[in-house]
Amino acid sequence: MKPAVLYQALATDLSLADRTGFNPYYRRMMRDGRGKISIDQAAFFDLASNDYLGLAADARVKAAMTDAVERFGASFCGTPIAAGYATILADLESAVAAMLGLPAAAIFPSCYQANGSLFCSIADADDVIIVDHYAHASLIQGVKASGARIKPFLHNDIDHLGKQLAASRSFRRIFVVTESVFSTEGSIAPVGEIDALCKRYHATPVIDDSHGIGVIGKTGQGILEYCGLSEYDGIYTASLGKALAGTGGIVAGAAEFIEYLRYNCAGLIYSTALVPASAAGLLASIRIVTTEFDARGGLMWKNHGDLCQRLTNAGVNLKGGQAPIASIFCGSPERTITLAKLFYEQGILTTPFIPPSVPPEQGVVRLIVGAKIDAVAMAELGERISVAAGKFNQ
Amino acid sequence: MELENRVIGLIQSNIEKKHTITLQSDLRQDLEVDSFGTIMIVNAIEDAFGIEVEEADIRKLARVIDIVELLEKKYLQPAKKS
Repeated sequence: MKPAVLYQALATDLSLADRTGFNPYYRRMMRDGRGKISIDQAAFFDLASNDYLGLAADARVKAAMTDAVERFGASFCGTPIAAGYATILADLESAVAAMLGLPAAAIFPSCYQANGSLFCSIADADDVIIVDHYAHASLIQGVKASGARIKPFLHNDIDHLGKQLAASRSFRRIFVVTESVFSTEGSIAPVGEIDALCKRYHATPVIDDSHGIGVIGKTGQGILEYCGLSEYDGIYTASLGKALAGTGGIVAGAAEFIEYLRYNCAGLIYSTALVPASAAGLLASIRIVTTEFDARGGLMWKNHGDLCQRLTNAGVNLKGGQAPIASIFCGSPERTITLAKLFYEQGILTTPFIPPSVPPEQGVVRLIVGAKIDAVAMAELGERISVAAGKFNQ
Repeated sequence: MELENRVIGLIQSNIEKKHTITLQSDLRQDLEVDSFGTIMIVNAIEDAFGIEVEEADIRKLARVIDIVELLEKKYLQPAKKS
């Protein structure tokens, strides 16, 4: 096939954008470094990013990052196994592990890469990976790449997971994979029960806590704190680019397991190490979460509660998850994009999810308000939300 | 009808939402089954019948009747004498 024919075959179908008169993806925007965004010179409320605690614009985080550039340079220009394992990277690994209460952690360039390369290092055709039906694309891609037998289980369904485990005893290694917080709906997986089932069947749990770290748990430590799993002996992964306002991803767990990954996980061995500015910013973020979660988390939950109240009053169909994520059920892709457009016209940036990101006819618009908006702005945001939702319900 | 009912029962207990399932039900359009959901259904059928369905066959499955016919014609055939 000639390249031109290939590219023609791969042409993106943008007919949905044509039908709805709106393409919400890859909008070009200005960001001012203080958490404000504007599009075509109009100010927008950012309810699309995952900046739960408002740390992306925190002066201390920014100062730590700029200072790190002066101290360590722009990049280590090397992989961790060779020239990139600088002290600040090792410090970050220790800080993240300590925050989580786990023995050790390894830093990857992204959580997508962590999840995408993890399973190839620990599973093959002799093994089975039992994975939540709605697990994140990075987990699915990683699981598929391993060559292990894949068994999805019904979303957050412990009984179904138990049946899958009972039917998997013949495999050499058994892994159970889920997200902690399912970000398109805000539900929290029953991780405590999953962990207990894994113990019963000698399986290893793999929990992606990308939307939990810095967000849930009494002190923001994430899903393990939320579920009271102080002796968790499974595998933990998370993005560092959401509540912690940096870049990169982690895999954390037993010290000997992390040491194994350092010498056997291609996604870690062959990737350039995280840049020093990001590592320094993350260290600052972790310090802030550790000392200020009460205040920041409190504002995040208050804002989320106010937002949900506004949305409920406006008559939209909220999915009602336990995490600080407001997810509005829309159904068809057309209705989903239409609602995102109505919010956009009111100066509110949201995230619409349509298939394949969600199942067929299960489209949602997600709003994360976080702690980055004060009471005055929340009042204005509430007015705009009521207008958009009111039009949607007409 | 025994095989048909068994297949429908297996599908019913391996999809996210309750639906009225008939042999003509389209997995994607009527039962909201995505590609990962199809794997879940096939896993259940494999475990129930003690078979292993080939990847190429899974890709051809669109309706419930396709699963029944695939089982009848290929996977549940008595072994032929050589």
